[in-house]
Order: sequence, then C-alpha cells, then structure tokens
Amino acid sequence: MAAASLIFITGGVRSGKSSFAEKIAVEYAKENGGQLNYLATGVASDPEMRERIVKHQNDRESGKSRWRTIEQSQTIGESAAYFNKEDIILIDCVTTLLNNELFSYNQEWDDCFLAHVMETIITGINKIRDRAKVLIVVSNEVFYESIAENNLVFFYSRILGKIHQQLVKDANQAFLVEAGIPINMKGVR
Amino acid sequence: MHFITGGAFNGKRAWVKGNYGISGTWLSAYQGHHLITDSNQIESNLLILEGIELWLKDLTKSQDSYNCREIWNSFMNDWLFWEKAEFNRRLVVIGTDTTKGIVPMEKENRLWRDVTGWAYQDLAAKADRVDIIWYGLNQTIKKTGDGKL
Repeated sequence: MAAASLIFITGGVRSGKSSFAEKIAVEYAKENGGQLNYLATGVASDPEMRERIVKHQNDRESGKSRWRTIEQSQTIGESAAYFNKEDIILIDCVTTLLNNELFSYNQEWDDCFLAHVMETIITGINKIRDRAKVLIVVSNEVFYESIAENNLVFFYSRILGKIHQQLVKDANQAFLVEAGIPINMKGVR
Repeated sequence: MHFITGGAFNGKRAWVKGNYGISGTWLSAYQGHHLITDSNQIESNLLILEGIELWLKDLTKSQDSYNCREIWNSFMNDWLFWEKAEFNRRLVVIGTDTTKGIVPMEKENRLWRDVTGWAYQDLAAKADRVDIIWYGLNQTIKKTGDGKL
C-alpha cells in the first residue's frame, strides 16, 4: 500500500497554524470521508498549559465535525495501532513531542541520545502515516534569532531543524503560516 | 554574487552543496576560518563564504555600526571585483537570519543584530540572485539577468 499523504505545517507562535491544520483536516474529511483524529501530545504541566489544551479541545468539539482524541505524549509510533486507512490524523505539535522525548529522562544530550530521539520521532510519524489516509503534522518556527554555540538552545534548535528538514523532504505538501495566511511551500494544495 | 539566507538549521549548506557541488573554496566562520581579503589566495573559480554573521559579530567588537557596515561592504566589493574579473567565477555568500527574535537584552547583541540586518540588505542589493532556504527548499526572492545559477 502506498504511504498516505503527509502534510507539514509550521508557523510562529499564534500564527494560526493550528486553526489552518484543523481546517484542512475537516475539508479533507468532507470531500473524501474518513474519521478525524487528534493525536494529543501535550502534558498539562501547569494551569496555563491545561487552559490551552481545554481551549483547543473546545474548539474541536464545538465544530460540526467529530474528532476522536488519542493521547500519546511519547514514542508516538506506538499509537499507530489505533489507526486504519480511513483515518485523517492531526499531530500538534512536533515541539511538544520533542520536549516530551528530551526532558522525560535525566539523560545527557550527547549525539547518541539526540540521534535516538530524532529517530523515535521520525519513525513514529512514518509508522502512523503508513496506516492512515492523511497525516497532518504541525510544528513551530524557532530559528530566527542568534543562538550561542554549544548550549541547550543550540542543540535543541539543531535537532528540531533536522526533524523539520526531514519532514519537509517526506511531505507531499508543506505550508508556512504567516499571520493566519498559509503559504504553500511544497506540493499543490 | 549569490546571497543565501534563512533561519538556523534550515539546510542552507546542504542546498549550496547540492546546487554548486562540493568543489570550490569554502571559508566557514563556523569552522573557525577567518575572512581572507587577499584574492590571490583563492585558486578555484567558486568561493563560498559561510556563516558571515559571525564575521560581522567580530567587527562589532571593535567598531561602531557605521564603520562595521563600511568595512564589511569594502570586503564584499573586493570579492565582487574578483568575481567579475573572470567569466567563470562565482561568489556565494551564506548568512543565517538572526533578525526575527525579540530585541536582545545586551547592547552588544543589539548592535550585532542591527549590523547583520544592514549587511544583508546591502548584500541583497548587490547580489544578482538571492534565495531564502526553508528546511531544504529554496525560494528565489531576487534574480537578475546575469544570475548564473
């Protein structure tokens, strides 16, 4: 079976990337059928985070479309078993997933660990894609200020950059959302 | 001159290698190379200057913003002169975009960021081609008639 469509979406904080991702998922479901799935990666670590999660949940539930929510904060590949070829899946967002993988263990960030984390995320995404109809992956742009070398932010940005490069390469379509406006960077919408 | 910019870790180097090949002279500030000003030291027809924001940072340590810009532009003018002296020569300049974050707390970092922004404007004005690299994909935002690649 051919791999399902992979759609990659990024943008800055509050750029409207999540709304756009949900919109294209709903549009796709309307046109082609299929079950909408939300793969929730967030861990409610503080009240503000909990509020954000609830806001996103309400937004999805208040719409006409029915979303199924599946919670998987780490090793997302394990959730592949829940899906079948009728599923449209939204993952929002890669940075949360990366944080969960990086900060859950008291592990030193050596090259070996970072390579393992990247592998877990990329193969996890591919596993889900292989089972589904459409997989939409949302992430965050964080690469536009000066970064001091060899600190935590440097390694974090480097691994996130590598993940984004791989996802754009694998994706059928890629979008950059600027101030609510999606810019089609790859593939035809 | 081909100016290439984009955020950090977006695959700028890989894109340049993919489009220009691996031959040519690479001067990389990330590898600790200095920006040489003597074109007699360059034997290939392709010169790539990578990580120019770090060379600009060095300039800001001893110069004010006006002088940084002047000195940088005179370096670039020399290399543009070198490029134009032979038909097959090509100058490729790669600079990471560091200008879209919040205003830095420290005065020296604000200066560095300002100088970087101005230097990129000047480079883009002189370049015959400018590309922004976004996770390995390029977007050409300027291309004049004599743009070779």
